[in-house]
Amino acid sequence: MANIVSVDEFVTKEWYPGFTPSYAQSPWCTEPINTFRKEDEERFWFLDFHWPRGLSPMGILFLEDCYAWGTQTSAQSLPLPPGKGITQRIGGTHVYASEVPTASEWEIGFRAMRIQKNLPVFLQNFDSIWANRVEELDAALKYFEAYDFSGKSLADIGQYLIDARTFQKRAWEIHFEVMYPLLANYLGFYGVCSELRIDPGEISKFLQGYDTKILACDRELWLLTRDARNAGLSGVFARTEPENLQVALKAESRAANWCKKFDDFLNLYGWRTEGISDINLAPWVEDPTSPLGTIKTFLQKGKDHNFEAARKAAIEEREASIDQARSKLTREEQTQFDGALASCQKANFAWWNDEHNFYVDLRASIPLRRGCLALSSALGAGDKEDTLYIFWPELMSIVRGQKKFAEFRGLVRDRRQYYHHWMERRPSMPKVLGTIPDAVTDPILIEIFGMHHHFFNAIKSKGKDVTTLTGVAASAGKVKGKARVLHSAGELHRIQPGEILVCEATSPNWTPAFAKIAACVCDGGGTLTHASIISREYRIPCVVGVGLATQAIATGDEVEVDGTAGRVVVFKAARA
Amino acid sequence: MTSGNPSVGEIVWIDDLSDGALAHAGAKMARLGGLRRHGVQVPDGFVITTDVFLDFLDRTGAGATIDEILRRVRASEGLEALQTAARAARAAIELHPIAPRVADTIVDAYEELSFRRRDLNIPVAVRSSATGEDASDASFAGLFDTYLGVTGWQRVLDAVRSCWSSLFTERAIDYRLQKGFDYRASPMAVGVIELVRALASGVAFSIHPVSGSVDRMVIEGSWGWGEAVVQGLVQPDHIEIGKSDRRVLEYQVANKRVVSCFDYARGLVVEQEMPKRLRTERMLDEEQTGAVINAVLTIEACYGYPVDVEWVLDRHRRPGEPITIVQTRPITVKSALKSTPQWDPVAYAAKYAFSGKK
Repeated sequence: MANIVSVDEFVTKEWYPGFTPSYAQSPWCTEPINTFRKEDEERFWFLDFHWPRGLSPMGILFLEDCYAWGTQTSAQSLPLPPGKGITQRIGGTHVYASEVPTASEWEIGFRAMRIQKNLPVFLQNFDSIWANRVEELDAALKYFEAYDFSGKSLADIGQYLIDARTFQKRAWEIHFEVMYPLLANYLGFYGVCSELRIDPGEISKFLQGYDTKILACDRELWLLTRDARNAGLSGVFARTEPENLQVALKAESRAANWCKKFDDFLNLYGWRTEGISDINLAPWVEDPTSPLGTIKTFLQKGKDHNFEAARKAAIEEREASIDQARSKLTREEQTQFDGALASCQKANFAWWNDEHNFYVDLRASIPLRRGCLALSSALGAGDKEDTLYIFWPELMSIVRGQKKFAEFRGLVRDRRQYYHHWMERRPSMPKVLGTIPDAVTDPILIEIFGMHHHFFNAIKSKGKDVTTLTGVAASAGKVKGKARVLHSAGELHRIQPGEILVCEATSPNWTPAFAKIAACVCDGGGTLTHASIISREYRIPCVVGVGLATQAIATGDEVEVDGTAGRVVVFKAARA
Repeated sequence: MTSGNPSVGEIVWIDDLSDGALAHAGAKMARLGGLRRHGVQVPDGFVITTDVFLDFLDRTGAGATIDEILRRVRASEGLEALQTAARAARAAIELHPIAPRVADTIVDAYEELSFRRRDLNIPVAVRSSATGEDASDASFAGLFDTYLGVTGWQRVLDAVRSCWSSLFTERAIDYRLQKGFDYRASPMAVGVIELVRALASGVAFSIHPVSGSVDRMVIEGSWGWGEAVVQGLVQPDHIEIGKSDRRVLEYQVANKRVVSCFDYARGLVVEQEMPKRLRTERMLDEEQTGAVINAVLTIEACYGYPVDVEWVLDRHRRPGEPITIVQTRPITVKSALKSTPQWDPVAYAAKYAFSGKK
């Protein structure tokens, strides 16, 4: 495979049917998002796993306000010496991302001087910095989630939308402001461990076993499962499809108590979507099919997941791993290791990487979605999601009364078709475009997307007859089973207990599935991506950063996952 | 005579070796003398000085023959010419017997060494001990011959002559040609030292030889004598030690397939297959490991720079007694010595967070 993948197929100026942005249509920091130009081929672009369905026009707003703006402002203020954050291109409706390099050697040195002052201060004060940000996020979320749209005018909804957009942007500023320094700290620690010849598979264990809001939510789901079984609701769950469960349970008189508990649960934990910051995803409070479906499969499993035991085991394993690693170090090396470990336990990326999802990734887009849905309703749109297919400048012209919604009905229909057309094409979208490098410098790309040598090797060797895939050894253990290749969270309920999950990547909402699967294999990711962390919590083997697992493996293939060695052996199933 | 150094005689006992003896006794033997003075346990023995070697060359005419051979090889080129020259030069030495008076002196010393043990024909190690430029060049380590377990005066005399002639191996001749050295400026001394009855032997480094870390010490070894370890014929057990608290950090037991052992029929130490039962046995226990550590730390402190040593565990050694050291050298590591730095998040982020090196 040549080291340049053509972008020709995606070169266009139109973002969606009937929309070509004007200059400065949206504020940007270092480099705005765009569609592909021919000259983009000189850079390296990879298909971002976070939005496997593609993005609607209102979803693209996230790229402008959050992904590009957030990474770029944070990369400027920390700053990252060699990189200025991440920019995006839209291929159809799909997101390709690339780092924005710092071109000047002088500037890299100049920025290195600044991070030298800033990073230690941030790490020292991480607890209070994060506590302050959580307070800020909590206060805003409370406002938006309690907002009542009844009786609001078009102008009121317009103002709400502007505020919700402001909030989403701020939430993601916080996200990257915290993520970059935590990640730099973690990768430095990882480097120390490598120098001390500590087995890489052990390193993530040193930071595991700290409770997060996401795990707390999973615990609640298991408690609800137990309550459902005790209330004699197993039968209802067993015979009802997830999407019909809400109605079926309401009709069941003995479920009244349980439904009340479930509503309380939704109020606390239901402000979350099935994927990261995709305005097209309905949160659980709007559509509880997902948590109900999860409880249904938990009931099928027959026995409870013992969280306390798993947690205790994780903590014991952590302490034992630390002791074991230290015992092999000299006193001088122990001093260095202890300093690095204390720094990472205090400002713990592994913990934060799960925790923040509760406040930002799964939640910060919901206010905007509610505003859009309220606007659809106020405008008498045919479908509540119609407004998601209208770009922001168009939307503003409507709420200001400059344009009528009716003028957009045709466009909405075309764009919705366009969105679905590209969603169908997702499995065959090229994983990378442009010029494939040997390495990248942005720590988010390296660690979260798994852009390390395994990844680039896999990409470059595409087309060979691969039966053994390699990646990052993310969670120890070896297991063999049938593969289930998933392209989106919407298919999660298809997983059968004991299957091996193969996907581009998982998001926090996939967590409940980990109680069912035997192992996990992801195209992207590093030792601290979601799938890696959760696999260790659930103690199943996991290999990430495999590159092309979703293309090399098909549902039904026999797969052997060696999470200790970072190896996946594929035994192809006979095809009819 | 070499470099105008005053003669020290034909035989010098290890006890009498001073630092000034280096030019006549060679680096290897001079350092053993130094160790003994510092209280390190080394085996008893003596050196046949370079004077004896140079006298042999003159008296037998072998020196003139070799000079002619070397003149010819200088004019020609190629491996073949080098091989021919090496064969001819070594034969020129081994063709001639050692003069009776000198032979008597060596045999006398050998019998004295046996007598000191109230024994006769004791097995000895006959070791080349190079002088001059060669001696300090790391690339010459292990180049010249060593014979382990030589017994009886006739074999000792033969081994001494073989050590002399090993000054003219292909590699040695080639090396001196490249550097423009004259072999007479770095003649050969030969050590005859008591063979320790080895239970286990090996090498040790007072720093980590690969990483250059000064916090760590490394011991490698196997059953029997150290030849198989030194020549790399056996995968040795590998022990890493934290120097500041002398704690064993890891002990990797290797599958040791070859052993250097004493062949009584031939009166020599030879290599043979390791008995199955010994292969995966630990070669040093904790106390014995501690004795090696003590010796290495003492030697490093004496010299004031990192060293490697060859050690032997005497099978009659009792717990608490020192380990025997048969050789030591300053360590010449290519990479610089490294002490462990303190944790610095900025430095490590710069090194690892932005590079994709993981």
